Amino acid sequence: MSIRKLPALLVNQIAAGEVIERPASVVKELMENSIDAGARQIRVTIETGGIELINVADDGSGMQPEDLPLAIAPHATSKIEVANDLEAIATLGFRGEALASIASVSRMTIVSRAREHDSASMINVEGSNESVVEPVAGPVGTTIRVRNLFFNTPARRKFMRTPPTEAGHVREVASSIALSHPDVAVVLEHDGRVVFDLPGGQSAKQRALAILGTELSPELLELNAESDGVRLWGMIGRPGIARATSRHIMMFVNGRRINDRTIHHALKEAYRGLIEPNRHPTAVLFIVVDPAAVDVNVHPTKAEVRFRHQAQVHGLIHSGVRTRLREADLAPAVQFAGGSELKLQSAPWQPPQEFGTGRGSGASDGGERKSAQSFVDYFRQLDPKQKGFVYTEVKSALEKEPEIAPLVQQQNDSNSGGGFAESDELPRVQQAARVLQVHSSFIVTQDEQGLVIIDQHALHERVMFERLKQRVEQGPLQSQRLLMPAVVRAGRAQVEALATLQPMLGKLGIEAEPMGPESVAVHAFTTLLFERKVDPVQFMSALLDEAGDNKFADDPEAALHEVLDMMACKAAIKAGDRLTDEELGELIRFRETVERSSNCPHGRPTSLRLSIRDLEKQFGRT
Amino acid sequence: MKVICDRAALLDAVNLCTGVVVSRTPTPVLQCMKLSAADGLLTLAATDLEVGLRLGIEQIEIEQPGEALIPADKLAQIVRACDDPTLTLETEDNAMHIRGENSHFKIYGYDPKEAPQVRDFAGVKVDCEIPAGSLQRLVSRTLFAAAAEHSRYAINGVLFDRHAKKMRLVATDGRRLAIARGECSKGDGDSSCIVPTKALNLVNKLIDDPETTVRLGVEENQIVFAIGDAPDAAVLTSNLVEGAFPPFEDVIPKDQDKRVTFDAPTLAGAIRRAALLTNEESKGVRLAFDDKMLTLSSRAPEMGEAEVKLAAEKYEGESLEIGFNPGYIVDALKVVDGGDVMIELKAPNKPGVIRTGQEFTYVIMPVNLQ
Repeated sequence: MSIRKLPALLVNQIAAGEVIERPASVVKELMENSIDAGARQIRVTIETGGIELINVADDGSGMQPEDLPLAIAPHATSKIEVANDLEAIATLGFRGEALASIASVSRMTIVSRAREHDSASMINVEGSNESVVEPVAGPVGTTIRVRNLFFNTPARRKFMRTPPTEAGHVREVASSIALSHPDVAVVLEHDGRVVFDLPGGQSAKQRALAILGTELSPELLELNAESDGVRLWGMIGRPGIARATSRHIMMFVNGRRINDRTIHHALKEAYRGLIEPNRHPTAVLFIVVDPAAVDVNVHPTKAEVRFRHQAQVHGLIHSGVRTRLREADLAPAVQFAGGSELKLQSAPWQPPQEFGTGRGSGASDGGERKSAQSFVDYFRQLDPKQKGFVYTEVKSALEKEPEIAPLVQQQNDSNSGGGFAESDELPRVQQAARVLQVHSSFIVTQDEQGLVIIDQHALHERVMFERLKQRVEQGPLQSQRLLMPAVVRAGRAQVEALATLQPMLGKLGIEAEPMGPESVAVHAFTTLLFERKVDPVQFMSALLDEAGDNKFADDPEAALHEVLDMMACKAAIKAGDRLTDEELGELIRFRETVERSSNCPHGRPTSLRLSIRDLEKQFGRT
Repeated sequence: MKVICDRAALLDAVNLCTGVVVSRTPTPVLQCMKLSAADGLLTLAATDLEVGLRLGIEQIEIEQPGEALIPADKLAQIVRACDDPTLTLETEDNAMHIRGENSHFKIYGYDPKEAPQVRDFAGVKVDCEIPAGSLQRLVSRTLFAAAAEHSRYAINGVLFDRHAKKMRLVATDGRRLAIARGECSKGDGDSSCIVPTKALNLVNKLIDDPETTVRLGVEENQIVFAIGDAPDAAVLTSNLVEGAFPPFEDVIPKDQDKRVTFDAPTLAGAIRRAALLTNEESKGVRLAFDDKMLTLSSRAPEMGEAEVKLAAEKYEGESLEIGFNPGYIVDALKVVDGGDVMIELKAPNKPGVIRTGQEFTYVIMPVNLQ
């Protein structure tokens, strides 16, 4: 077999294989060209998921008639001229292969008119045959029509999915481009139906909300951060709207949609402990860096990039997202899904068994009825450390002032009006428990927005976790020596894993050493765990099991957190533990002072809120 | 059955019996106590199948002998709530009427034949006899150190170890060990068994006169206590804890080279004060012995610090700093009945020992303070 040079068409078709995978790739390339051409409006029309037709029309700068044949030649581009330009790519496209690739696998028509020309020009390409350029009527800008994608590469055509699936990919691509260019009007139509129609000149936030869905807006937090010339703006979802897939994480670097593992990791780390490990947050992140500090020429579809200062980008995202989450009040609202998910039934009245719990706090009744103004006064006298935490709550309270005021009024009226409020025999809700333990498992209390329901184990676990974490940073945990070593039976792998655990065990106040090939002797054990009646043997065998499975292999800090979490979980009060008034009060106070108290270390929520507005709605008062 | 009872005597007995009954069980008869009236004595009996108790009441008048099996908690509530000097108990089928001067209750019970067996002392071979006061002291000096919840079941109880007429009780939770020694009478040979903490708590409550005698019977898997003299002796039966008690002799240190003596209440007061600024994560109190002075200190990050000084003129040995869980020391000082205690130490990571003569030895493991 002799070696021969491949014909140009085949070369292009092979290249197309890398760039053009499916209709969505065509839409991406064409829309990016439009953006690079300075378009203010882009209209994308597809039929049958883009398999039959893709039409992208823009009002950009257009092309000269003599440039049209060049546009479809491989490695022909107007975007870079010399190799140095690769060092700082500011346009979306630059490789000069998109149009050539698309043309090689479809029937393509380009109609383009530059601003200074009176008429447009048209060229038709079908595989390797291109028509002559002829003048036609047309507006300023470029319209590219791609029909019968992959008509000449049946293998590729076979790999296309159903039209709805392909349309979904097109929508995904079009919306990411729209997200990163809020000033450009973007319309997407599929089979004659408008998928979205986004007006131009939107702010980044308006555009993000338009794409993510305005109904999500109460669940989204806006984020701004900057460090050493890297800027981050984004919208991140509260932990409550975490998803099972990472599809709702969209990240952009200099306006280009990418999928970067570093950024993913930073984001997941920032949410660590707020969402369950196998779920993913909703996030739209825009990162702006000096084009020279990022290499986008790594991947043909430019989905991957390489940062020159990767750690810096990681740090900015981690701390930016983390800080924003910390500031926010993350207690999720109780969901009423059309009244069906949570049915409020009128339960027969039963004597409140635990009303005694809060009697003593009658003096603080005034505190509950604080108007927003006195709340602000209270806020002013707080020490600066606490301020950051309550700030967002105060802000939302202020916004709701008109709502709160009449409510407070009513409460006062009913108090002064009815003579029974002062009577001892009939405890009214107002003077009864500020904090109520329900079925020895949940704690019910109120805040300025409504009713708060707390899972006592989840909250205490978080409290213990944060306290342990803080304590470990100051030095090893106190450890109680044992009279006789506690012997833990373990497999060989676990006993071998003990060696790697030693530095961590030292921090945790646990002294253990192998005792023969299949057991471990514990000589000293964390004081706190003893206080909390955690059995050293049970704890150590659980720990060794995890270690034997290599769960703690790579990241010592993550491993330490994992073990602190185990400790917190074992040491925390359980559902079913009855708490005294003091314990209840203490737990509620911790909720206000401990970081990330909205979620347990596994990410499940510790509390739910039923707002006054929801209550009014459910009782049909609005 | 029809019996007129002195309410106060009945209340005492009923309260003790409810300590045995389990409140949550699928078997209703286990929530009951059995009443038997015969030969001028009303006997109450209850069991949770681990521990069984029989109590006789003499302050009664039997009009008609008989038996009843009724829910313990309801009977206890009624006897507690009434204020009549006497109550009349009368059965009607499986139900029981309780009548005071102005009140009448009827409790539905069960057929007395369904009642689980609760042993009396008849046929038990006496292992030894011990004055009630001595037994009570031995039990209180060890019971607190037994493990409450532990996977090593053998230490969820107190070891009764008798060598001829020398009796010692031993308890440990793995962090401290308490040994109390005393004398008994009528003991031959050796015997050894582990008694669950629940039974010993009851024994201590059952003893109201330290002058009476307690007879002990030790069998294959049960121990029987007869407290007081027949015929109204309280008889407590308990299953024994299975398994081997850990080899505790090995952990009693013998080469302690630092010694000091304190008045127990004074030391306990100082430790309590020093422990005021401890919390769960920072539980330990530091004991620094230096130049005839003991400095107790504690520190809990974000809470504060405490320092208490106590003269230690009798300190012999080099300076030493050692940490202990203050609760463990105070526990021991509470049960030594005042007077002086001797503390023996060696090194910060070695156990400390508290002694009062030969009667009480307490080994306590230190806490690593950083």
